[in-house]
Amino acid sequence: MSGQAKSRIFPVVVISFFCVTVIAGLFGTLLPSLNYLPVIGYTRISLSAWFDFFSYPGIQTSFFVTLFSGITASVGVVSLAFLFITFSYGTALWKFFEKILSPVLSIPHAAFAVGFGFLIAPSGWLIRMISPALTGFTMPPDWIILNDPAGISLTIALVIKEFPFLIMVTMGALGQLDIKETLLVGRALGYTKEQIWLKILIPRLYPHLRLSIFAVIAYSLSVVDMAIILGPSSPPSLAVLILRWFNDPDVSFKLLASAGSLFLFAIVLLSILGVYIMERAVVVFLRPWITNGKRRCFLSRLKPIIFFMGCGTLFFTAVSSVILVIWSLTWQWRFPDFLPTTWTLTFWAKGLVSSFDPVMTTLFTGVASAFIGLLLAIGCLEHEVAAGKTRTRNYTGYLHYFLYLPLLVPQITFMAGIQFLLVIMKMDGYWMSLMVSHLLFVLPYVFIALSATYLAFDERVTDQAMLLKRSYIAVLFRVKLPMLIKPILFSFAIGFSVSVAQYIPTMLVGAGRFSTITTEVVSIASGSDRRVIAVYALIQQCLPMTMYAMAIILPKILYYNRKGMQV
Amino acid sequence: MSLELENLSILKQGSAIFDPVNLVINPGEITTIMGPSGCGKSTLLSAVSGSLDQVFTLKGSILLYGSNMADLPMEKRNIGILFQDDLLFPHMDIAGNLAFAIKEKTSRVEKNKIIDKALKTAGLQGFEKRDPSSLSGGQKARISLLRSLLAKPSALLLDEPFSKLDQTLKAKIRLFVFSQIKKMNIPALLVTHDPRDCPEGGMILNLNKEEG
Repeated sequence: MSGQAKSRIFPVVVISFFCVTVIAGLFGTLLPSLNYLPVIGYTRISLSAWFDFFSYPGIQTSFFVTLFSGITASVGVVSLAFLFITFSYGTALWKFFEKILSPVLSIPHAAFAVGFGFLIAPSGWLIRMISPALTGFTMPPDWIILNDPAGISLTIALVIKEFPFLIMVTMGALGQLDIKETLLVGRALGYTKEQIWLKILIPRLYPHLRLSIFAVIAYSLSVVDMAIILGPSSPPSLAVLILRWFNDPDVSFKLLASAGSLFLFAIVLLSILGVYIMERAVVVFLRPWITNGKRRCFLSRLKPIIFFMGCGTLFFTAVSSVILVIWSLTWQWRFPDFLPTTWTLTFWAKGLVSSFDPVMTTLFTGVASAFIGLLLAIGCLEHEVAAGKTRTRNYTGYLHYFLYLPLLVPQITFMAGIQFLLVIMKMDGYWMSLMVSHLLFVLPYVFIALSATYLAFDERVTDQAMLLKRSYIAVLFRVKLPMLIKPILFSFAIGFSVSVAQYIPTMLVGAGRFSTITTEVVSIASGSDRRVIAVYALIQQCLPMTMYAMAIILPKILYYNRKGMQV
Repeated sequence: MSLELENLSILKQGSAIFDPVNLVINPGEITTIMGPSGCGKSTLLSAVSGSLDQVFTLKGSILLYGSNMADLPMEKRNIGILFQDDLLFPHMDIAGNLAFAIKEKTSRVEKNKIIDKALKTAGLQGFEKRDPSSLSGGQKARISLLRSLLAKPSALLLDEPFSKLDQTLKAKIRLFVFSQIKKMNIPALLVTHDPRDCPEGGMILNLNKEEG
């Protein structure tokens, strides 16, 4: 049993890893923002970087665009998710969402943004669909839809991309509520289903979703890859501007970038604080509404609209992928035509060759970080199981508080600091550093994805096996883990897809020495040939899809003759 | 007169799960349905309440003061239910749980009076601000009943409401529940497998299914 007792090393290592990287990263950003970066000869502490930042031309516009797109997207997606579950829970639509969710979630942000851009652009598919029949356009209109200065297309894309994420988190939390019984009690008291959701179930659901909602806010305010592809460009949103400064050949811009990224962090913190205060206020002000006795709900009229919007997110995600496929096979496509006139495989042939190196880097980094993430997650969960059995202290319990840490601080803020520290320690530009930086974001998702099923494992099986085998390691690897092969492979695929989607860590920690398929997609997205971009975006999209497919097929092959494993 | 089941039967894949039920319950009366587990008594109750699973089909009629409930959704039937579990909402205090049941167009002051009065009848005066999870099993059961009754249901269904209470509490809670039903003067339908749960002098119906 000593193996189990020692297992607390896992949660301790993981918690330290999260805390050390985030705190060191923030520290590493703070110093340059105070004019201290010895590597490039700045040693005198001053606030000049901050003054430069606030007086940078167009900074106000950048600030407002960031705030507008980030807050609108967060409020929009959270309201949509809550109303969607209110109206659709238990319906066929909800069950359909349950099935379709993982492939939808696996689509990398950049690939989706590229496809979405191909749809909504003035020369995009949506306008082609109705032209010239309805619009009379024979030339693309000169509307600014893509990269619009107010960031509206970015905001809409963020809502579409984050909606399935929130639904997934909600589905996970629903298991902890007695929904069926609550609906029965509420209906016996004369309330409609919608009213019970709004008055009873969502207030109870919210605490389980709070951290995920905070993560959505942090992400929306600090998104970079989608903002480069869809957001405004002059001036861009803060996070994009900061990345430009980091990559500026003039190294003194790094000071400005550090100040900016800390300012961005402050915006995120204040927004989260604002949402928390709003939550408290809502709790107080809505209490009378909850018990006002009204059984009917005016919101019921929104039902068709919410269904329409919920399905709309799926529609746009699906059509964004379809348009990528079409463009990747296009040879000639004149404007108002609905489909290309001539097709070709040329761009695939070229793209597959030229993307080989970035794809390999993506693959190795993804597999390595997902695998290590999985090992650490299993270690932590085994510790939790062991602590439960022996009634000793469960260190993994603390992990839940730290899990969201890397997701709540803007990536650009602490990844920049980590890059500075790596430069000082002469560890920048190593593949290992890159992989570990991915692990930071892979691990939380792997852990969240795995924990519920892992902890629900019937431990009597392990106990029985222990009596027969007497070796903890043997039982773990020969009985328990093989029985859990499905959720394990599945969370591996999730971890892999998180790694594939990483943009900022690769840009900053990779120090320009590594390009993944994601950094390639983002860098060619503006200005290159649509056909080339489409091929790259599809390759990026295919990587996680392939991993998900393997996670589904592999257990079926391994256990084709075991009916008990096919459930 | 007030709650009538006429030729009520429930079919699963075309065959009835028990013989047709005919039943009349007058206001203030409690009729008990007895039978071993699996005989369909809970299914019968869910048919009356309106929460029948879609695998079943309902035949016959459910009349509440003369109007047929069978096609109405659960929330429009005005039939209260008391479950095995108290099912109090854990994020609200006791007053909140009770206020949730009171119909609209009642002023706040009036609501508070109603809640105070209800709590007094249950011997739980001053419990307004208490957290449901700090209450004992018996107290929770009483609050749960009060909540069902404050919605002013036209009939009450009791789904083995005493089965999870310990032996000493059972008799007390039973008396409380029965006396409240008498006071409200509404028909009640009780489902149980414990003969001691039946109120004295109440009608008892055994659910059967003829063989073959």
